[in-house]
Amino acid sequence: MSRRTAAQPDLRVVGDDVYPDWEAVYRDNVERVYGLMFAKVGNRADAEDLTAEVFLAALGPMRISASVGEVRAYLSATARTVLAGHWRRNFGREVTMFSDTLDVPQPTAAEADPDNSAEPTAAASLAQRMLAGLPEQYRQVLRLRFLQGYSVRETAAALGVSVSNAKVLQHRALRRAAQLSPGGEP
Amino acid sequence: MSERGVRRFVADLLSGRRPRRFRVEEHEAAELAAAITLRAARPGAGTPREEFVTDLHHRLAAQLRAQTDQAATPLVKPIDVSRRRLVATAGIAAGAAAVGAGVDHVLTTEHVTGAVGGQPTLIPNAGQWRTVAASADLPEGGMTGFDLGTVIGFVTRSGGRLAAVSGLCTHLGCRLALNAPARRLDCPCHNTSFALSGQLLRYQLAVPPAPLPRLEVRESNGMVQIFAPPAPSA
Repeated sequence: MSRRTAAQPDLRVVGDDVYPDWEAVYRDNVERVYGLMFAKVGNRADAEDLTAEVFLAALGPMRISASVGEVRAYLSATARTVLAGHWRRNFGREVTMFSDTLDVPQPTAAEADPDNSAEPTAAASLAQRMLAGLPEQYRQVLRLRFLQGYSVRETAAALGVSVSNAKVLQHRALRRAAQLSPGGEP
Repeated sequence: MSERGVRRFVADLLSGRRPRRFRVEEHEAAELAAAITLRAARPGAGTPREEFVTDLHHRLAAQLRAQTDQAATPLVKPIDVSRRRLVATAGIAAGAAAVGAGVDHVLTTEHVTGAVGGQPTLIPNAGQWRTVAASADLPEGGMTGFDLGTVIGFVTRSGGRLAAVSGLCTHLGCRLALNAPARRLDCPCHNTSFALSGQLLRYQLAVPPAPLPRLEVRESNGMVQIFAPPAPSA
């Protein structure tokens, strides 16, 4: 609730502290940047490459004397550029992008919460919302395939349909999910 | 046809492979985005491998070491030349000021070789403001190359200010490559490097090449624009 009130970019979420050195910058941010990237590319190889690109590009020019909030904002801005470049270069179109307010506050809020392991991540709640709008069978097939890592064969068995039916179901379900997703309207 | 790209992308995501590149049509993007959202929601998906974190740490350390070394060792030798030029330029400027001419004018129209201060700005006879990037794509510290058909170059935002320089080496006109990690422009032909501000960083030639000409750059309605001649008609 209070998180939502921050309409303006929340640059100083953790105050005006300063990092002692670049290694502290790295340690404190590498998981966050990787998490942001994974949420936007969905695979490890790209998430790793893009995370590396962000830090390699950002650490040189970055003023270590900047506050923690500023450093994070700067890394996020770099991440935005790097992600956009990845999509344009390899797919000719920006398939995913970071929202304007950038997903900065969420991990910070999670950090503040000691038992955040039980909390759904931002990515998980987004997916849950997407699944919630689907008919039962569509929801099932996507949950099994994407969230639980079932093979097509296993999914077909679990749903009691043929393998080719499972494939068709998955295809249609994903298409429907795309129509329902927040950024999905044409 | 296009269906195939999407299906392959989704299959790659699901089997943990890097999706193969293909040209995404507008109507396909939402489906890919939905697949990514779902795949990213798998428990533990957003946590990096320890080996990756360690490995990147080493790479960063190596890069930062290289950068400090480079800054510490005097670059090949433009220093002497710069000093000589500075003296000469100061003399001209002082004379010009005495007769009431603008110092800027003297500096920008003078033909200079390797001087620190004398960096000409390209102002074409018939120019127009042409968009090269969205402002949002050029955050603080950002840099990007552009090719306007008539002019190629690089634009950067540093200290809140935009600056643009030509993208052709002043030695023999090879196309400079952006070396983003080192924040400089490298010539593929003779090991010449320029700073993003256009100043000569290093060279291995008998005569130091001139700094890169500047281009006029502005920001308008969320777009970064360069003052350049219109595109050549095909």
